Amino acid sequence: MTTPPQQRKPSLFGLLKPYGGLIVPLVLLAVAANALTLWLPRLLSHGIDGFIAGTSLHAVLWEFGIASIAIFIFTYLQSIVQTYASERVARDMRNDLSAKISTHSFAEVQAITPAKLLTNLTGDVDAIKNFVSQAVVNIVSSAFLILGASFLLISIDWKLGLAVLTIVPIIGGTFYLILGRVRALFLKTREIIDWLNKVINESILGAALIRVLNSQKLEHEKFAQANASARDIGISILKLFSAMIPIITFVANLATLIILTLGGKFVIGGAMTIGDFASFNSYLMILIFPILVIGFMSNVIAQAQASYDRVAGVLAMPARQDTGTIVEPLRGSIQMQNVTLTYGQKTALKDVSLAIEPGTRTAIIGPTAAGKTQLLSLLIGLIQPAAGEIQYDRRNINEYQKEHLYKQIGLVFQDSIIFNMTLRENIAFNTQVTEHDLQKAIATAELSDFIASLSEGLDTIVSERGTSLSGGQKQRIMLARALAINPKILLLDDFTARVDASTEKKILDNVAKNYPGLTLVSVTQKIVSVQEYDQIIVLMEGEIIARGRHEELLNTSPEYVQIYDSQQSTNTYEL
Amino acid sequence: MNYSLQKTGTAQKTSPWAAMRKLWPLIVQEKKIMSVALTAVVANAVLNLTAPRLIAHAIDTYIIPRDFRGLLVSGALVLGIYLLALVTSYMQTRLMGGVGQRVLYRLRNQIFHKLQELPVAFFNQNKAGDLISRINNDTEKINQFFSQALVQFVGNLFMMGGAAIFLVSLNVRLGAATLAPALILLVITNVLSPWVKRKNLASSQSLGGMSSEIQESLNNFKVIIAFNRRDYFKTRFQEVNENNYKAAIGAGVANNTFTPIYGLASNAGQIIVLAYGIALIAAGNFTVGLLISFLSYANNFYSPLRQLAALWANFQTALASWDRVHDILVLENNLQTIASAATVSDDAIVEFKNVHFKYPDGKEVLHDINLRLEKGKTYALVGPTGGGKTTTASLMARLYDPTTGVVFLNGTDIRAYTPAERTRKIGFILQEPVMFTGTVRENILYGNEDYAAHSNEELEAVIREANLERLLNRFDKGLETKLTAGGDAVSLGQKQLIAFMRAVLRRPELLILDEATANIDTVTEQLLDDILRNLPAGTTKVIIAHRLNTIENADEIFFVNAGTVERAGSMEHAIDMLMHHHRQS
Repeated sequence: MTTPPQQRKPSLFGLLKPYGGLIVPLVLLAVAANALTLWLPRLLSHGIDGFIAGTSLHAVLWEFGIASIAIFIFTYLQSIVQTYASERVARDMRNDLSAKISTHSFAEVQAITPAKLLTNLTGDVDAIKNFVSQAVVNIVSSAFLILGASFLLISIDWKLGLAVLTIVPIIGGTFYLILGRVRALFLKTREIIDWLNKVINESILGAALIRVLNSQKLEHEKFAQANASARDIGISILKLFSAMIPIITFVANLATLIILTLGGKFVIGGAMTIGDFASFNSYLMILIFPILVIGFMSNVIAQAQASYDRVAGVLAMPARQDTGTIVEPLRGSIQMQNVTLTYGQKTALKDVSLAIEPGTRTAIIGPTAAGKTQLLSLLIGLIQPAAGEIQYDRRNINEYQKEHLYKQIGLVFQDSIIFNMTLRENIAFNTQVTEHDLQKAIATAELSDFIASLSEGLDTIVSERGTSLSGGQKQRIMLARALAINPKILLLDDFTARVDASTEKKILDNVAKNYPGLTLVSVTQKIVSVQEYDQIIVLMEGEIIARGRHEELLNTSPEYVQIYDSQQSTNTYEL
Repeated sequence: MNYSLQKTGTAQKTSPWAAMRKLWPLIVQEKKIMSVALTAVVANAVLNLTAPRLIAHAIDTYIIPRDFRGLLVSGALVLGIYLLALVTSYMQTRLMGGVGQRVLYRLRNQIFHKLQELPVAFFNQNKAGDLISRINNDTEKINQFFSQALVQFVGNLFMMGGAAIFLVSLNVRLGAATLAPALILLVITNVLSPWVKRKNLASSQSLGGMSSEIQESLNNFKVIIAFNRRDYFKTRFQEVNENNYKAAIGAGVANNTFTPIYGLASNAGQIIVLAYGIALIAAGNFTVGLLISFLSYANNFYSPLRQLAALWANFQTALASWDRVHDILVLENNLQTIASAATVSDDAIVEFKNVHFKYPDGKEVLHDINLRLEKGKTYALVGPTGGGKTTTASLMARLYDPTTGVVFLNGTDIRAYTPAERTRKIGFILQEPVMFTGTVRENILYGNEDYAAHSNEELEAVIREANLERLLNRFDKGLETKLTAGGDAVSLGQKQLIAFMRAVLRRPELLILDEATANIDTVTEQLLDDILRNLPAGTTKVIIAHRLNTIENADEIFFVNAGTVERAGSMEHAIDMLMHHHRQS
């Protein structure tokens, strides 16, 4: 993780600051309800005293009734405010996270992993939400009660009071010791949840393969392993908590024992009245209950803190600054100068230079794993080169305002990425697309007939991962999506791989006709579709080994000739 | 068959008991532990009730008569009780928590097993994020109920029961009057519970919806960046987040209604005791001393009841989550292995007889298909995109069953084979290569146990033998090259190479390649052709491709278009159809 080690531990309570408008009334309501609840027993004893003294009960009954209703209203309001406060914290935190994630680069999201981000946005935020909804009120009112009771204890008899209060540091120490360990375990739990997410996710994305190979057992094993780790760590946490809570109760009980014996001794010795002794006992009851509550809340706090550490880690990642300022329209020329790209140890592209003129068509050809896709990713700035420079119209790509650049470059990915929404939204993915541009893109991608065949046309919802569409349909939707932004430059990554020959030809003709002046860069396997191109670049093992027009390459590049020959046998059919 | 889990907001009428009965198989092995735990709960409650009595006794009998020795003795007794309570309290949390964790473990495993049992169609109809949410979030809510709430539930019920008995035995009429508000509570709880559960279900659903949205957006992050739609992620997310917020507030408000109402009832109980008790005293039927202890018992009854209010909401949340989990568990795979099968005496490896097929949501995509594939031959399926090629191939591998008609494998209805038998015979390289996080080795051997024990050297020898060596060389660290499921470190072409090796090493009788080499360069592809040619003579190959050179060696070509399959007499005929058929898709 990229969290700087020096960073101050983010404080859960600091998180609440912006919500003062909800938290303050929340605490006030809780304190009011608690104070009234403490007052009720006194009312009852007044009632009894009064009865013995022979006064009327009416006043007491009225007071009691009104106090009960007031408590009802206060607790009800408190629960509503509490719900709003906690849900608002959760909602805002999710929005902050998503806003942050949306500034990340593709590589960063891959590095953090989508599985972890999913846990961040769901489980982690929920843990923090629990903190707000339960812990805040309980901690504040408990602290209030503990302080008040301690003060009363000492004021009645400071010696006995101090003796009783010795339990407080013992309890504090127990909390400190156990919660320190629990926090580490909670962090680990979250990691295991990430792991579970990953296994489930892969088993869902790979569902078809798993059924083709009948490898369900293997998936069970993977899942059982992650699940067993989750169980084991859950049990480790449980062991700590199931020790902590009884220990704290026991220590609190010891205080009762101190009062009984030491206080009893004082009473026997005449240093204390029996009345003081009795109130000591009742105040101790007031003292113990909040201590127990804090014990339970410590669980909630430990989970929330572990989650908040993770969330804060994501939120604290440096925001990528778009330093680019250029917003001029592109003319369409592209240069790569001595570009090197590395993935860890591995060099994907070595010292690649190329120049593409506006309005020309360029093909990039080469074997699998030659670095073609990476080259396109570099061109659109999805990844950054380790060395070298990429230029548009002879200015560095980073000088352009990214948004502005993306408005003018259409990219068709190799893998089909379809969103679970209507075809219209999938194609007009960028909301600035006009109806005219949309229709032009659809016609160009030869999708009109297909869309016309659907009963709901463009408003048909396509399913997640595009499972209701054929491979070629998905790819043509991807193309339409890229064309719909009316790009100045179109980057195609193996676009025609899944489209049949006749459709491919129609589409390429349509593109030439409907988008004149477009600069086209096409990564492809098929020489026949690019023979007429202005430039063909042969890429092999990350290096450019030849470039030129088709006829030139036939004379100069043996590798090109080899590729050409491999397609020669059926060349005549591929019109 | 419809596998969609998206039913809108109607809480099923699962009564708490019915839910418990369904959960029972997961708990049954915990019976002993649970009875020990419950004993500990009861013992703990008894101890906690006894200590104050002992202290009161000590005050009356030792402190007031100034007997310090006697005081020390009862102090020691109280200490003993506290020590016992320490043990019982540890045991109740530890044991019930353990039960909760193990039930959670089994429940998650059970859901995951069910997911693995269900056919591909299930995954086409449900969103990954929602499924993850059901496995993680919903089971966690059930666990919370088990490990935390249940102990308190039982402990509190026990305390209440004890207090109620004391109340009634001290004075029947006053006792009954004191308990009357609890009766009203019972009615209110019954009325409110379905509403609370519904709110919780809505909240769980919106959480699942949000999880799907995150899942989809994060997995497709590339497109979001390249199409300048960072705002898309934000706004789409804000929308589902807002929905989730509203649903969660609904659930939160619903869950929190019990507590104030129970508090009010508790106070009503006290006021009844006071008013009615004093009236009784005035009538000479009761004493002040009894009234005081009556008040404290009333308190003993109502304060656990107040805690039950929070627990009850917790229980409703668990029930709502149980419904969502249960939705998955009740689904049955409709691709069952059938016992008696139709056979055709024939040497065809695959035969389609009058096969029709439609996906659950739509139109028929295959109409009356009849075809016959013989052993050892190579077949090509060509045709425009969307014509039904992948669907035809999927039926051969029984990813789906035909709507009507029969698919025969080796002369027997394909439905009569167990999945293990069927998949051993069939290798299917899917259009979208699937990778798992791990190494190339793990991915090549995925679902193949034959070579699991091989060392890398031995495996490399096998790969050499199968002519796959040059494909492996495309990975810079060979078998140990690392892959991630969604990652972009290797290209689609490389993923297809892995899928190819994975399928070939399993030596299937029928090998289906669904555009399996579409993103592989033509030079490598020639290599793949060689490899395919060198497969054992009995291997039948079905190739779906757009590149004609990949299929020129086919023994027979089928032209698939608009849901029909036609036999093309020759390569030229096939091309003619490809070029001139009016496209239907």
